Amino acid sequence: MNDGLIASDAPFTPEEREILGALADTLVPASEDGVMPSAGELDIAGYVAGNAADFLPELGEILAGLDAGFAEEPLGIRVEHVKAFSEARPESFQRLLAEVYGCYYQDARVLEGIGAGAGPPFPRGNTVEPGDLSLLDPVMGSSTNWRREVPR
Amino acid sequence: MPSNDPVDVLIIGAGASGAAVAWSLADTRMHIVCMEQGDWTNPSEYPTNYPDWEQRLAGSDSIDPNVRGRDTDYPINNDDSPISVVNFNGVGGGTILYAAHFPRMHPSDFRVRTLDGVADDWPVSYDTLEPYFAENDRMMGVSGLAGDPSYPPKQPPLPPLPLGRLGETVAQGFNRLGWHWWPADSAIISRPYEGRDECKNLGPCTSGCAQGAKSSTDITYWPVALRKGVELWTRCRVREITVNAEGMADGVVYYDAEGEERHQRAEVVVLACNGVGTPRILLNSTSPQFPDGLANRSGQVGRNLMFHPVGFVRGYFEERLDSHMGPQGCCMLSNQFYETNPERDFVRGYMMQIVRGGVWPWTTAMQGAATGDIPWGPKHHEAFQRRFDHSANIGVLCEDLPEEHNTVTLDPELADSDGIPSPKISYTLSENSRRMLDHGVARAKEVMEAAGAVDVVGGGPARIAGWHLLGTARMGTDPETSVVNSWGRSHDVKNLFIVDGSIFVTSGGVNPTSTIQALALYVADTMKKNLATLFD
Ligand SMILES: Cc1cc2nc3c(=O)[nH]c(=O)nc-3n(C[C@H](O)[C@H](O)[C@H](O)COP(=O)(O)OP(=O)(O)OC[C@H]3O[C@@H](n4cnc5c(N)ncnc54)[C@H](O)[C@@H]3O)c2cc1C
Ligand code: SF4
Repeated sequence: MNDGLIASDAPFTPEEREILGALADTLVPASEDGVMPSAGELDIAGYVAGNAADFLPELGEILAGLDAGFAEEPLGIRVEHVKAFSEARPESFQRLLAEVYGCYYQDARVLEGIGAGAGPPFPRGNTVEPGDLSLLDPVMGSSTNWRREVPR
Repeated sequence: MPSNDPVDVLIIGAGASGAAVAWSLADTRMHIVCMEQGDWTNPSEYPTNYPDWEQRLAGSDSIDPNVRGRDTDYPINNDDSPISVVNFNGVGGGTILYAAHFPRMHPSDFRVRTLDGVADDWPVSYDTLEPYFAENDRMMGVSGLAGDPSYPPKQPPLPPLPLGRLGETVAQGFNRLGWHWWPADSAIISRPYEGRDECKNLGPCTSGCAQGAKSSTDITYWPVALRKGVELWTRCRVREITVNAEGMADGVVYYDAEGEERHQRAEVVVLACNGVGTPRILLNSTSPQFPDGLANRSGQVGRNLMFHPVGFVRGYFEERLDSHMGPQGCCMLSNQFYETNPERDFVRGYMMQIVRGGVWPWTTAMQGAATGDIPWGPKHHEAFQRRFDHSANIGVLCEDLPEEHNTVTLDPELADSDGIPSPKISYTLSENSRRMLDHGVARAKEVMEAAGAVDVVGGGPARIAGWHLLGTARMGTDPETSVVNSWGRSHDVKNLFIVDGSIFVTSGGVNPTSTIQALALYVADTMKKNLATLFD
């Protein structure tokens, strides 16, 4: 998981990490077919520490603001909590979402699950079908449509 | 190496036009120096080498210099404009980040006054530029398909890039409507060419091409120009062009990498800093002979700024289109609505540029969160899978006509890290452009529907879309109303030349770099032919 990401030493306590995991699970739960992991399975704290360290203090505040029992709540209740938070602190929530999605959509399993191929685009590359140039037949058959500089 | 012996030719700016002019003038064996404020880039440091490439694109490698904020950039005040300037400052200039969509301007674009009674005709024609277009295509490495009926005959040196499922799908929409489309001319190599390897369809070409398949001038013109003896001095930021008692340019004041102020003497100065950077230097070059800025006796320096206002339409399809892969800006185009039609409520026209990319995983999730299309929570995956790789985009690129009140001036407060005043952009969208944009967005929606899109959204003008910077030191035959003559020489200062997009008389309705470079090659060639009488 999280191949290639730079994770630093654990920035949060085990309790905070548990809340963060539950929060990430709420934002991106696992898919029902089991193909897509939940965001809580990834090392969100390590990602933020390595890639967005300026967000750590704010993330700490967000976690402190959530009830200690948050992680134990069923998904439906957690969704309500997060909705309330997103309405009360829209900017903080946007940043949280950007970082959780940032971590999630760099994960090899996730990228393979959505059909994007794991890892950065280079040097992997992609294969694109050439496409059918006979589709141009009607265009080639049309009369020349460029306009001359001097009207004739 | 910097010294204060005068150089024969001093080019300022190592971007699209600076590279072309340097390469061509090198034939003269003169002592040619190009000063560039930025650095060489290293393709192995481009974002696509890293897992967090999408985040880099939104921050440290943004196309917006105000977001990127490197010390090689200069901040730009866009507060007074609905469109903000994007660029790259380094060897290659904008071509490092450009999408490399490479259409030429059309013959009619050079004759808009004669044909449509608006703006001014250019003092050069398509026919004059044609050999330079072809030479530039060869030097840059352009892929495309001959036979487009919307142009006079031309032969790109390399076969076209793949259309992909996305292109095929949208092409069928155009065919159902009976409208023109054609595979794009692209400054991206579809086959190995001149020692470079072919495009690998990574996708995000506007982050720099780690594969080296995109024809940016750091890997096309510059290596050859350097071998021919041109010197390229990086981290040299020009503050102003100085003049002697006769009112001729005699050199530049610049800041070196350490921020030291220096003077370099030169016999000829060539400006290639783009439609914003060039008027900035001219306006900052005041002297008793030129109190309103150098080469500005006409008062036209910094005026007539043209972008191409752009609208975007996105269609979502049931089937997977592989939208995230393949050269982002280069798939196909339509010139169906390019020429003036008196039955429409606007004059001139627009190109439709069918684009893939820009819909990468994280970006898709973030855009979906902003529009509410892709919620967080239990329904996230289902909504994401419906959107990701299922969309196609059409950019509606409108011809912008010159208007004197659209300007680049010097900001009284904002400055770069060397203290040089920043450009301030003042621009309003004209009624003609507004109508054209609305027309184009509506037609693009029709294409998407005809192609089978299940959901279509769009509008314009896009804000972070000031890619094309044109018109602020216009060409013309009349020194009262233009800044340079028909071959780029300043009317007022006979050893000062301008070769970048600022000399455009009108903007055409296509991405401009092919025409900018053809024009730079034409100016260089005319200089070479007139060397003995260059200042007469
Ligand atoms: C994201 C993006 C996408 C684009 N896509 C396309 C496309 O698909 N097709 C297309 O045709 N065009 C595209 N463009 C536009 C294209 O990049 C420009 O048209 C082209 O690069 C302009 O060439 P130029 O020579 O006028 O200036 P530039 O290439 O901008 O070069 C100017 C150079 O001058 C240097 N300079 C400026 N001021 C100073 C100074 N004071 N001292 C020293 N050096 C200085 C700059 O650092 C820069 O390197 C795109 C641009 C961007 C940013
Ligand atoms: S799609 Fe092609 S041109 Fe664009 S970045 Fe990838 S390899 Fe380079």
